[in-house]
Amino acid sequence: MVENFHNLYMGISVAAQPYNFMVAMIGLILGVIVGVLPGLGGANGVAILIPLTVTMQPIPGIILLSSIYWGALYGGSITSILFNIPGEPWSVATTFDGYPMAKKGHAGKALVISFLSHGVGAVIGVILLSFFAPIIAEFALKFGPAEIFSVMFLTFSAFVGLGGKSAMKTLVSIFFGFTMAAVGMDIVTGQLRMTFGSIDLMGGFNFIVAVIGLFGLGEIFLTVEEGLKMEGIEAKVTFKDIREGAKELAIHWKTLLMGTLIGCWMGLKPGGATPASFMAYGFAKQAARNKDEFGQGAAAGIIAPEAAAHGAGTSATLPMITLGIPGSPTMAVIMGGLMIFGLTPGPMLFKEHADFVWGLIGSCWVGNFIGLFIVLAFTPLFAAVLKVRFAILMPAIVYVCAIGAYAVNNRMIDCYYMLGFGVLGYIFKKLDYPLAPMVLALVLGDMAEAAMRQALIMGQGSPVVFFRFPIALPVMTAAIIIFFWPSISGIIRKRRIKVGPG
Amino acid sequence: MRKAELFTSLFFVVIGIITIVDAVRVGFQWGSSGPESGWFPFYLGVGTLICSGVITVENLARFKKEGASSARLIPEGALTPILWVLLPSVGMVLLTEVLGLHAAAAVFLAFYMRAVGKIGWITVVPVSTLTPLALYVIFDRAFLIPLPGGMLGKFIHLPF
Repeated sequence: MVENFHNLYMGISVAAQPYNFMVAMIGLILGVIVGVLPGLGGANGVAILIPLTVTMQPIPGIILLSSIYWGALYGGSITSILFNIPGEPWSVATTFDGYPMAKKGHAGKALVISFLSHGVGAVIGVILLSFFAPIIAEFALKFGPAEIFSVMFLTFSAFVGLGGKSAMKTLVSIFFGFTMAAVGMDIVTGQLRMTFGSIDLMGGFNFIVAVIGLFGLGEIFLTVEEGLKMEGIEAKVTFKDIREGAKELAIHWKTLLMGTLIGCWMGLKPGGATPASFMAYGFAKQAARNKDEFGQGAAAGIIAPEAAAHGAGTSATLPMITLGIPGSPTMAVIMGGLMIFGLTPGPMLFKEHADFVWGLIGSCWVGNFIGLFIVLAFTPLFAAVLKVRFAILMPAIVYVCAIGAYAVNNRMIDCYYMLGFGVLGYIFKKLDYPLAPMVLALVLGDMAEAAMRQALIMGQGSPVVFFRFPIALPVMTAAIIIFFWPSISGIIRKRRIKVGPG
Repeated sequence: MRKAELFTSLFFVVIGIITIVDAVRVGFQWGSSGPESGWFPFYLGVGTLICSGVITVENLARFKKEGASSARLIPEGALTPILWVLLPSVGMVLLTEVLGLHAAAAVFLAFYMRAVGKIGWITVVPVSTLTPLALYVIFDRAFLIPLPGGMLGKFIHLPF
């Protein structure tokens, strides 16, 4: 424990070095802009900037990438509150009460409440991260291929069972992601698969290109389709707003704590931030004394989802750095960045590159704190970004996306893939196929396949190896229960109805 | 909407079949040193085929019962603006092969701002020249990330 404190201190002092501090500032500002702009989100903002970090040292590089993420977490709420346009999926719940409050003339107060809730969510999330990460990493050192595969299986069954979308469509999306990952050279035998003699296909599909296409272009098509109506509310954050906002937070401290804890818990499982924000909103509404206030600009209706979203965003780092399994597309992209530096996320990272891991955790502390001050001070500037005509923003965003897609591998074909993924992303969104599981399958494809094959070789072809004691069995059991959760909960409900009055 | 659903699920049926065929080609059984290359893709293909097959059958059943629904994949009137984004973007990528990314982007920016945004030349010219120039300086010069120069890239040498 004392050792952890020492490590944390080291990490924070690394993150607070002038150069790293400056990098974090730049990352945060870019992140907030990316969070504000439609069509650019945390995931593809990070994806586009990955090529830039290649020339940097690993620690400042990862600080830049994660700072963009923290910035995007903050930035998403600015548009939800001022423009009623959620900049990110996890800030949808914020529009319910944030926009009405801003409309009533309390835009500054609404923003302050949201930012402070983010801050609290971040702090609690980072505390949990700092203290649980080493423990989980220590535990994960005992993992063999079967255990790694079982944890991945749990990740994907969470998408199927708890994702809330059609199970069949989620499965198709997962299989398609894995299939794309399998294109190219087989990592074990070196054989070419599904390349059909094409040299371009030999290189396979890069998930960063997929992220840029799916979340960048796809999102732009959706925005254009809805016809962009930007009716913003002017906002300035004054000291009075900060005081009033802080007071609201103090009054609703229970909601704040509840939102954060829901967020931190949900963030551990894949795709957590968005459901966490809705869940927290729902709970806050149920617990409130005057429910009519909700939807009219209730402070608690902003606090709960915002704290949950940031808590989830922070705790999502935990499975990524300790197990090497990202919970969200953004985390997957950050993990991709780590791999470019030659660092494989997972328990060994703690042993071999302790300075790096603690630098990253330290930057979570530093980044989230500066982020809070940046958004409090410069919100009007960030909101002004949206006043730029869409006809100027849109081509510039497509241009930047193309740069990002090309620079990942210096391949022209990736620009065409990006266009293709853009159309695919649009169709997926419209037909309600989930995107996140596909991206994660594409990221984890090679690892999952290698783990599965190694485990099977160890078990001499018998799948019983995936159910061995002491770790794989409970994880697999949990995964199977979660996979069938919709049907299980349906049966339970039916029983209850039968037993109950009626 | 329903037709689009059908086409999408059929697309995945085809993907599943292709995957299975290729997996069979490279070998999908248990080889001398564990599972062969096609082992994992084979099951992926089977999974894709089953799931997309179920979706297709469900959609077909609904299609027969209710006919094509009135809801469209792309709402009335939205296709034009989407194509106005998609086609110039494709054009930009194609133009990149010739002019290089930055020059192609300059053309793309100017075209979109002028044709779709109906923005005056006073804004169009500086924005469409300065943006690519700035990004050129950041990526190609400051961070030394070479972006595609196209066929003409060799002949253009900027003094900075």
